[in-house]
Amino acid sequence: MSEQIQDQISAFTDDELSAEECAFLVRRLERDPKTRDRVLRYSIIGAALRGELPNPDPDVLRRRVRAELDGIRALEQVRESPAARSRYFRPAVGLGIAASVAVAALALLNTVNSPLDASDPVSRVAGASSGFGLQDPPSYIVPSEAAGSLSVGDTLSPPPIRLTNYLITHGQYAPGIRRTSIHTHVISNEGTTVLVTPPPVQER
Amino acid sequence: MGRPSSLRSLAGTVVGCATLQAAAQDAQQWLDRMTSAVEELSYRGTFVHLLGDEVDTLQIVHRNDDGRISERIVSMDGVGREIIRNEDEIYCILPDRQIVLFESRRDVSPLVSALPNYSEDLARSYEIALLHTERVVERDAQVVAIHPRDEFRYGYRLWLDSETAMPLKSQLRDEQGRTVEQMAFTQIDIGEDIPPSALEPTIDAQGFEWIMPPDDEVTAETPQWRATRVPEGFQLSVATLTRMAGSEHPVEHLVYSDGLATVSVFVESPDSEPEVTGGLSRIGSTNAFSFEFSGRQITAVGEVPPVTVESIATSFASP
Repeated sequence: MSEQIQDQISAFTDDELSAEECAFLVRRLERDPKTRDRVLRYSIIGAALRGELPNPDPDVLRRRVRAELDGIRALEQVRESPAARSRYFRPAVGLGIAASVAVAALALLNTVNSPLDASDPVSRVAGASSGFGLQDPPSYIVPSEAAGSLSVGDTLSPPPIRLTNYLITHGQYAPGIRRTSIHTHVISNEGTTVLVTPPPVQER
Repeated sequence: MGRPSSLRSLAGTVVGCATLQAAAQDAQQWLDRMTSAVEELSYRGTFVHLLGDEVDTLQIVHRNDDGRISERIVSMDGVGREIIRNEDEIYCILPDRQIVLFESRRDVSPLVSALPNYSEDLARSYEIALLHTERVVERDAQVVAIHPRDEFRYGYRLWLDSETAMPLKSQLRDEQGRTVEQMAFTQIDIGEDIPPSALEPTIDAQGFEWIMPPDDEVTAETPQWRATRVPEGFQLSVATLTRMAGSEHPVEHLVYSDGLATVSVFVESPDSEPEVTGGLSRIGSTNAFSFEFSGRQITAVGEVPPVTVESIATSFASP
């Protein structure tokens, strides 16, 4: 990766690029999967530092950050000729900064991203204490085991067509900016469905 | 000598309240302008969508041709899925599955057909404030903060173009202020002439399976199902029978809205067998909760916290 691209990615993640520079970078990313992966990794680290990752899996994130660190260390350990060292000096400084950021992110994850704590609405859904005047508990119980072969955390990729139908139809009634977001969910790569809780079973 | 002091205090309180009210009205005006801008302006640009550890780059083209709105969003990553909508139809091209999902916009809406725009009610569910200004994609932007008053809805942080109120960057935030999702333009052109060709799909869908709704019209029948309990602030805003692609039977579609957040509930006919996984699932920041009741599949979908879709959906099973 060239020094210029390295600097641009760094500026991009800091929201410091001009519109023209962004357009250039986007075109570059379209053609260069390696660079795109690098941007993704930087974005993840940046998002983790800013606490913007919603309920991330700390283990997955830690593995990614460690992999990033390992890659950086491997690069730093490469013995270069003096000329080559000079050539790579500036990117190495950049990588050193990235390493510091990654270490900070790793430390932060241990304190910030505790998985599914009790205050998280997602973790409380199975309990179904809605809190807005429910007189009676919901008329179903959550089984201890998921029905069928599905279990919590399973990724259903691609999502069922009917669910995609629901999203598209629902999007027509959402305010403009939310409709864009919903349509983005349908077509973007994260348009996979993650089963969060098992299906409820009606009480007999 | 306490009276003049009390009067000054009272006057100060009144002025303070008036200032707060004016600020809230200013923020509300920004939101109203934003709603108009997103729909009525013509624009095209590239934006980045960040959710969890996923980053996607997408292009959007939005065209207003004398009130006829059309829009195309293309994912620039992966297989390049597209979604295109106009006044009458919306279709989603999924090249990875060799499928085109087609939905017509000819719903029968015997109850209501427009979302409410009730600013006073909105204030009961959200705190809305104007913050500072910032530069985003080389444009001046007004930052607006919308904080939910309870756990049943998400909040927003919006960076609105100072000139047009177009959202240049937006964050969906939970009650604790943590960002759930972020969208940000990296490049945008607002107000330019957009040729119709820019709305054409780039994918050749020949040979793809087209999943379409049946041709026959739905009768203007009022849906029978209603949620018995919804979180405070949510109101029924749409109740309709709709035809869905790939289904022979009409589906009852109910929309509950608090003015910003919307939750759709789909009640399937007992004769249909939709392939929807029960329980709570999520696609992006959209949550869905589905279960079977009286032989019908009931599913609530919305960009709201999981507890909200679950609560609304299961209330259909309560008296």
